[in-house]
Amino acid sequence: MSTRRSSRARARAAEAAVFALPLLIVLVILFGMLAWTLYMSVSNWQGTAADYRFAGLTWYRLMLNQDRFWVDIGNNIRWLVLGVLPTTVLGLLLAYLLELGSIRGVEAYLRTLILYPAAMSFIVTGTIWSWMYQPDRGVLNTLLRAVGLDALTSGYTTDVTSAIYWLILIFVWQFLGIAVLILQASLRTAELQEMVEAATLDGASRVGILVSVIVPNIRGGILIVVSLLLISALKVFDIVYIVTFGGPGYATDVLALFMFIATFQQHLVALGAALGVVIFALAFAATIPYTIYALERWF
Amino acid sequence: MKRKNASLDALVVLTVLLVSAVYLLPVYVMALTSLKTPLEITQRRYLLPGGAPHLENYATSLGLVFPSMVNSSIIALTVTLLSLVVGGLGGYFLSRFKWRIAKILFVLVSIALFLPYQVILIPLVQIVAATGLALTHAGLIISYLILNVPLASVLMATFFFSVPRELEESAEVDGASRLQIFFKIVSMAALPGYASTGILVFIQVWNEFLIALTLSTPYTETVQVKLTEVKGSFVALYNLQMAAALITVLVPLMFFLLLGKYFIRGILAGALKG
Repeated sequence: MSTRRSSRARARAAEAAVFALPLLIVLVILFGMLAWTLYMSVSNWQGTAADYRFAGLTWYRLMLNQDRFWVDIGNNIRWLVLGVLPTTVLGLLLAYLLELGSIRGVEAYLRTLILYPAAMSFIVTGTIWSWMYQPDRGVLNTLLRAVGLDALTSGYTTDVTSAIYWLILIFVWQFLGIAVLILQASLRTAELQEMVEAATLDGASRVGILVSVIVPNIRGGILIVVSLLLISALKVFDIVYIVTFGGPGYATDVLALFMFIATFQQHLVALGAALGVVIFALAFAATIPYTIYALERWF
Repeated sequence: MKRKNASLDALVVLTVLLVSAVYLLPVYVMALTSLKTPLEITQRRYLLPGGAPHLENYATSLGLVFPSMVNSSIIALTVTLLSLVVGGLGGYFLSRFKWRIAKILFVLVSIALFLPYQVILIPLVQIVAATGLALTHAGLIISYLILNVPLASVLMATFFFSVPRELEESAEVDGASRLQIFFKIVSMAALPGYASTGILVFIQVWNEFLIALTLSTPYTETVQVKLTEVKGSFVALYNLQMAAALITVLVPLMFFLLLGKYFIRGILAGALKG
């Protein structure tokens, strides 16, 4: 009896292996590369040939002593705050408005319109917005001058103090649709609809309902949107690369771009690996709440 | 939640106008510019069409980007297909085998899902360079496959969750093996899920830039890298640049417009259940 059970267990394990093994191999390679990068960051690799001699925290110390690193940290924090908060709040307001609105066809139209940039690459949006922003011949300044609003013209991404905010605006433009989509779906649960009905009968205002009924009950949806935006804002590279390449000066430089330049242009591979580890650590920390939430819902 | 209200309708109309302006203006100007000559562009009437539309801009741009579109198509299609196979199998494991190892795998997959590419970029370059894979599409295909399997697995797992168990149980009683059940019953029932996952992976790979920039060679250059070259020069040929961008964006946009339902379901599956 017991041998039959164990042979059946073995057959079941063999079946499970067919399903799990390819995924497992991919994960082993992925986390192997992660470990490899971790080791590289404490190696002494500079120049084009690999050098795995242990160098301790030498390159981390060098990194921390670079002004550029701290400028990047400041910029990445700006991306995290301004790329995530306005997008989430705007997304929530738009999703709520779409649910309330009673004009037919509006919902489908708006949703398609704000979602299409989600299918485009950062390189394409960057290309478009570079030209919108271009200071002397660009679209925005030309239009502003044409209607006599010269006072509102700006240097946009060529202006040292405000360049980064114009870059972040591109990101908000591109991600707003996804935020609306996810938040709208979480607004549509039956329980929430009932609670809103009840609050409406009690005479609560629409804004009141949004703040005290809806927001506390779609925390899951908000957490997902925030995590998605956090991670996308943190690893931002393409927009910066194509629009400003970190300029003017270092004004819009971010960790991801510094990592790329240090590794592939300056051949300070250990420094590049250290920067990669910093980006990973930040991303990991940012997604802990989401991972716990997902794990609880899954198992 | 619907209630009739005039001030609310006014707010909706206002929002529609504002959002339309913000989201249509860039593509509108882009499309118009792509049909002008450089001389017409310098007249700075960006909201108005120039003379006769210069469709030859598109012929020129297509000539520039076509080889890279072939490369990107080969890479993105292969990665999509392989991700669906591996992700389908892995997703089934995550959704049906409630073992401790499945839980561990799930945590690893969740971390991998959000892994910034920067942290594996250097080893990836080392491997691709050392194995000579850089000279063929295989280098980029394998890289993207490794990076997209976690996403495909989670998405497929969420779609498998919604396949009713009764279907499988009755097949099991009939003596079918797990693999037969997976291929003949569960995968068939989850075909729309495969479509959603496939579209998401394809768009992701088509639009990816960092890995493509570091790994692509003249033989394997992808569209995004090519676009930066078209933009790259200081003599900004805005008409060609915009035409090239529009041509390359057409592929993912087609998926979005024609199969938008699956695209949206994919995003929601990844977001709400995962």
